[in-house]
Amino acid sequence: MLGYAVRRSVVALGLVWVVATLVFLVIHLIPGDPAELLLSQGGFAPDPAAVAELRTQLGLDRPLPVQYGSYIGGLLHGDLGHSLLDEHPVAEEIALRLPRTLELIAAAALLAVVFGLPLGTLAALRAGGPADRALSVLAGVSMSVPVFVVGTLVVLVFAQKLRWVSAGGFTPFSRDPLEHLALLAMPAATIALGLAAVVFRMTRSSILEVLGRDYVRTAMAKGVAPLRIVVHHVIRNALIPVVTVLALHLGTLLGGTVLVEYVFNWPGLSGYLVNAVEARDYPEVMGIVLVISVLFVLLNLAVDLLYALLDPRVRHA
Amino acid sequence: MSFPVSRRAFVAGATALPFLRIEGARAVTPGVLTFGLSSFPPSIKPFANTGTAAATVKLMIYRGLLSYGKDGLLRGELAESWAPDGQTAWVFKLRDAVFQNGEKVTSADVKWTIEQIADEKSTAFFRKEMQGVAAVETPDDKTVRIVTREPNVTIPRLMASYHLPIISRASDGGEPVGAGPFRIAASERGVSIELEAFDRFFKPGLPKLKGIKAVAYKDENLRVAALQAGDVDLIEYVPWQSMEAISNDPALVLDTTDGPFMFLVFNGAKRPFDDARVRRAVAHAIRREDIVKAAFYGRGSTLEHLPIAPESEFFNPEFKNAWNYDPELSKKLLADAGLGGGFTCTLLSTAQYGMHKNTAEVVQQYLMAVGINAQLNLPDWATRVSLGNKGQYDIAVMGTAADSNDPDGLSNFIDGTLAPSYVRSHGLKIPRLTELLAAGRTEFDTEKRKAIYKEMEKVALEEVPIAGLSWRSQGYAMRKGVSGFKNLPGALTFYSGTTFEETSIA
Repeated sequence: MLGYAVRRSVVALGLVWVVATLVFLVIHLIPGDPAELLLSQGGFAPDPAAVAELRTQLGLDRPLPVQYGSYIGGLLHGDLGHSLLDEHPVAEEIALRLPRTLELIAAAALLAVVFGLPLGTLAALRAGGPADRALSVLAGVSMSVPVFVVGTLVVLVFAQKLRWVSAGGFTPFSRDPLEHLALLAMPAATIALGLAAVVFRMTRSSILEVLGRDYVRTAMAKGVAPLRIVVHHVIRNALIPVVTVLALHLGTLLGGTVLVEYVFNWPGLSGYLVNAVEARDYPEVMGIVLVISVLFVLLNLAVDLLYALLDPRVRHA
Repeated sequence: MSFPVSRRAFVAGATALPFLRIEGARAVTPGVLTFGLSSFPPSIKPFANTGTAAATVKLMIYRGLLSYGKDGLLRGELAESWAPDGQTAWVFKLRDAVFQNGEKVTSADVKWTIEQIADEKSTAFFRKEMQGVAAVETPDDKTVRIVTREPNVTIPRLMASYHLPIISRASDGGEPVGAGPFRIAASERGVSIELEAFDRFFKPGLPKLKGIKAVAYKDENLRVAALQAGDVDLIEYVPWQSMEAISNDPALVLDTTDGPFMFLVFNGAKRPFDDARVRRAVAHAIRREDIVKAAFYGRGSTLEHLPIAPESEFFNPEFKNAWNYDPELSKKLLADAGLGGGFTCTLLSTAQYGMHKNTAEVVQQYLMAVGINAQLNLPDWATRVSLGNKGQYDIAVMGTAADSNDPDGLSNFIDGTLAPSYVRSHGLKIPRLTELLAAGRTEFDTEKRKAIYKEMEKVALEEVPIAGLSWRSQGYAMRKGVSGFKNLPGALTFYSGTTFEETSIA
C-alpha cells in the first residue's frame, strides 16, 4: 500500500508541474501586456518610457525562460508571487478568497441536498402522480434556466422590488454573522436551484431502481413498515450514485461560480480569477489556476488511495 | 405513505415568508455615505493612471494645487492664486494647509512631488510633461515658481489633474500622504474602502460627511439594484438602460453630463486609410443617431465634428455637422480614391464592453451600405488594447473622455507624432495638426487660441485623424437625501469626486 501511495503521489506532483508550466506558457502567449494595460486605463495613452520602466520594475522585460525559472523557484519555496497591480501577495489573497468560494459551494450543496433529496424521494414514491409530474417539470425548468438569469431575477425580486435583502455584497462572518448569512443566502440559493434539480433527478431515478429490487419486495412481503423500508433499505442504497454525481458537480463549481460571484458581488476565487485574466495579472492567474488544479489533483489522489484501501486489486493493477 | 407536513402548515409557512425580511441588512452609520464604485481600484498610486475608479478615490484623499469647481472652471486648492510669470514660468501661491500626517504643505513638497513624477524611474502619467519642467523654484514656503523649457499655457490644467496631487515629502518611501478631505481608515482588497473625514482639512467646515464607504459593484445592474434597494447612497457609471427608471423614481436623483465620447481611429500606415478621402468617406457613411439609440439607449448625442463640447468657448458652431450622414458623398469620395467597387477591411472593437460592441455593429452596417465590408474583430479589452497599440487593425472603435474641456486635451487623440497608442490612429501623422496643437499650447491669449483651434478643427475635418461618432451620457445617481454632490460638466465628469468634500447626507 505504501509503495502504491508513493507512486500515486509522484504522479500527482508531476501533474502539478505540468499544470504550472502550461498555465505559465498560456498566460504569456495570449495578447495583452500587463504594464501597458495598467497604465492605459481610462482611454489615456501612457508615456512609452513609463511603460518600459514599469515592465522593468515588474520583471517583465526578462527573457521568458528566466521568468519561468523564477516562477518555478518561487513555487518550490511556496511563494506564488505578488500581484502586478499593487504588489499584494497572491497566496494571501487566495487564502482569503478560497474559503469564501468553498463556503458558497458548501451552502449551495447543503440547500440542494435538503430540498433535492426529500423531493426526489417523494417523487419516486409517488411516481406518475401529480406531485411527481409537477416536481419533475420544476426540476427540468430549474436545470434549464442559466444561473445568471436566476441570479438577476432573485436580485430583482428580493432586493429591488421586495427589499427583503441587500442586492449583494459581502460582510465577514466575524464582523456581522447575521448579515454575512443574509448575503450568503441569495447566491447560495441561486447555485442550489440547479444543483437541487440534479440531486432530485438522481435521487428519483435511483430510488425507482432500488424500489424494484428483490430485497425491497421481500421486505414489503414480510410486512416491514413502509417508512422503515424507505429509510433503511431504499434511500441508503440509492444514495451512492447521488453522492457521486453531487461530488462531480461540486468539483466543477470550484472554478465555475464566476457568474454567481459576479451577479451577487461575492468576492470569491472565481471572480478574482476573471479580474486577474482581464488585467493580465500573470502571478494572480497562475496562482489561482494552480491552487484549483492542486485541489483537484489532491481530491483525485485521495479517491485513488481510498479505492486502493477498499479494493486491494487496485494496488496491484 | 403520507407526507409529514400538512397543507395548513405549508400555507402558514409561506404566509410568514414576507416577515423574514432582514431589516438593516446594511448597517447605516449616520453621516457616512455608502458609494457604489464601478470597480475596485487596481491601485491608488497618486501619480499613476489606474482608471477612473482609482481617480475618484484619489480625489477623496489627495488635493493638487488646483482643481475644478462645479461650473467646470479652474479653482485654487492648495494654491490660493496662480499666474504666468513671463512666457516660460508660472507662479503659484500656497494657502495654509496641512497634510494628513500633520505636516504643513510647503513649496518644498510641491517641488518634491514634481521631481518624483519626472524621475527616470517614474511610471507617472505626467512623467513626460514634468520632464518638460526646467526648474521648480521655491523662493519661500508659500511660493512655487515652475519654469518650463517652452511656453506652456496648460500648466494650470496639469496642476488640476487627479494624476498630479501634492504629496508630503515626509512620505518618501512610505505610504503617500496627501492633503485631501478624507483618509483611508480600512480597506478590503476587491471589496470596499472605508474613508474617514480628515478633521484638519484646509477648507473650514469641510468635509461635511463623517466618512465614506466605497463598495465596488462591478456589475452595473447590481450597482443600480444596490441603489434601489437602499444598500448604497450614490453610484457612478449609471448604465444607460437604467437611466429612465432612475429618473422616474421619486426617491432617486440622476445627474448626467455628455462628457465622454465614441469615435473611430484608423490605421493610417497602410492603404486604404492612409488616404484622407477614404477616412472622410467613413465619417460621412454613418448615421450617428442609431449609435446613440443602439449603444446608449438614446442617452447621448451625435458627434459630427471634433469632440469639442458645445458649452466650450472653443466650440465652432459652423463645424457642428461637418461629418454629417451623407452616403452619396461617402460613395463619391470612395470613387475618387479609386475604391468605387468597395473593399474589405477589419473593424476592431471589444465584446467586453457593450457600448463598444454595439457601436461597432452599427458602424459595420452603415459601412456595408457604402460598399465597405468591415469584418468585426471583438476580442477582450486587453487584447483590443494590444492590437490597437501595434496597429493590427484597419478601423477601430474607441471611447473615452478628454482629460479636460480644453482643446489641448485632444492632442492625446489626434496628434500622430506621439507614440503609437490604441487611443489614436496608427501611423497617421498630419504635420499641420501637430503644429497647430503646439501653437495652441504656447499661446497665452485666449482669442488667439480660439483662432488657432478653429484652424486646427478645420484641418482635422478635412484630414479626419479620428471620426467622431457620439457623445455619451455619463451619470451618477443618488438618493434624494444626498446633497452637495455634483457631476462636473463635460470631460470633467471623472473629476466629480472632488465634490465629496461638500457632500452631505440626510
